Amino acid sequence: MKDRLEKFVQDHREEFDVFEPRTELWQQICQDLPQKSPEKEAKVIKFSFGDRASFSADYFFMRVAAAIVLLLGCGLTIFLMKQQTPESAYTLASSESITTEVPEVGAIAPELPEIEAYYVSQIEEKKSELSEYDLKVLGLDEQQVIDKELARLDSSYTVLKQQLYTSPNTEEIVNAMVQNLGIRVRVLNRQLEVLQRLQKINKETNLKQQTNDTSNV
Amino acid sequence: MEKLSYQDVNQGVVQRCISGDHRAQYELYKLYSKAMFNVSMRITNDYAEAEDVLQEAFVSAFKNLHSYKAEASFGSWLKKIVINAAINAVRKRRSELVPMDERAVADMADEVNEDESEWQVEQVRRAIQKLPDGYRVVLSLYLLEGYDHAEIGEVLGISESTSKSQYSRARKKLLEIMKEPQFVA
Repeated sequence: MKDRLEKFVQDHREEFDVFEPRTELWQQICQDLPQKSPEKEAKVIKFSFGDRASFSADYFFMRVAAAIVLLLGCGLTIFLMKQQTPESAYTLASSESITTEVPEVGAIAPELPEIEAYYVSQIEEKKSELSEYDLKVLGLDEQQVIDKELARLDSSYTVLKQQLYTSPNTEEIVNAMVQNLGIRVRVLNRQLEVLQRLQKINKETNLKQQTNDTSNV
Repeated sequence: MEKLSYQDVNQGVVQRCISGDHRAQYELYKLYSKAMFNVSMRITNDYAEAEDVLQEAFVSAFKNLHSYKAEASFGSWLKKIVINAAINAVRKRRSELVPMDERAVADMADEVNEDESEWQVEQVRRAIQKLPDGYRVVLSLYLLEGYDHAEIGEVLGISESTSKSQYSRARKKLLEIMKEPQFVA
């Protein structure tokens, strides 16, 4: 009884396969297959895997390679970040000792010591120029105001320098420090100008007086 | 199965496929696509799904060709991939494949008169298509793909006896469907 159906199907087995897939299906399968044949090779970005023959192995290799590259990238970034943080922590710890301050500033803002040295020499020069003028003779008591101003700039400079060790925004602070130094130079320059002009006026009046005196004589 | 005779002929082609020969792959595809598509079609009972299964199976077969050990014929190795992919597709769309609802079987008459008329291939084929998923899969695997109940049990993850009882129910249901007015030629 059972055999009748089985026999019927077996006898007509070929006739049961009535369906056919679309011809485009092969194209779709091709797209999913890693290409190795030479005519398709140019279309695909390929790395040389040597004699590796299996398709899946190549995909696997690519995945592993991508993962390694990613890991290396992450590792390097973390390494560089870690390398920077202990250094700044170290300088922060020792920032109280003034003697070791300068080289560590160099670690945070390498350009700063040079800028500092330049401005300090400028300021010293202006100050020594200023001290050549006999203020009392010129009848000027403004110097005290300027000294106060310079002291104020100096103290804010120290604050900035301390911030440099703690704040992550080094560039902004360095800019402020340079600005601070620049203001000092400008203040001293202005003072020098004033004094020069005063001296000139004094000399002129002296000369006038002298000529007046001689003419009177 | 008829495809078994291709075994020796295919060995060279299979080797060329392993080394990535595009033309050898197409050769195998041409040779097997129709038979495999019908296998897929019988299990999924859906043209688009059957195509997806066929594509998936061929891609997977070509990628894993190096694991083909020539213990069985290439055709039956490929068929197993297709059948597994098709069963997975049906499982995805319906949670339960086997066993079927018992009550549906209980309602059926035990006696089915078989020798009434001559069967037509088209009639039987369409009747198989009308079977519920679980029945259709077991019956197709047994009758058309030449799987025995042990193999069906393995591929579906059921016991051999479950496969047997599923098949006899499916068979009854099939004959019943064939007696419906639109199937009587």
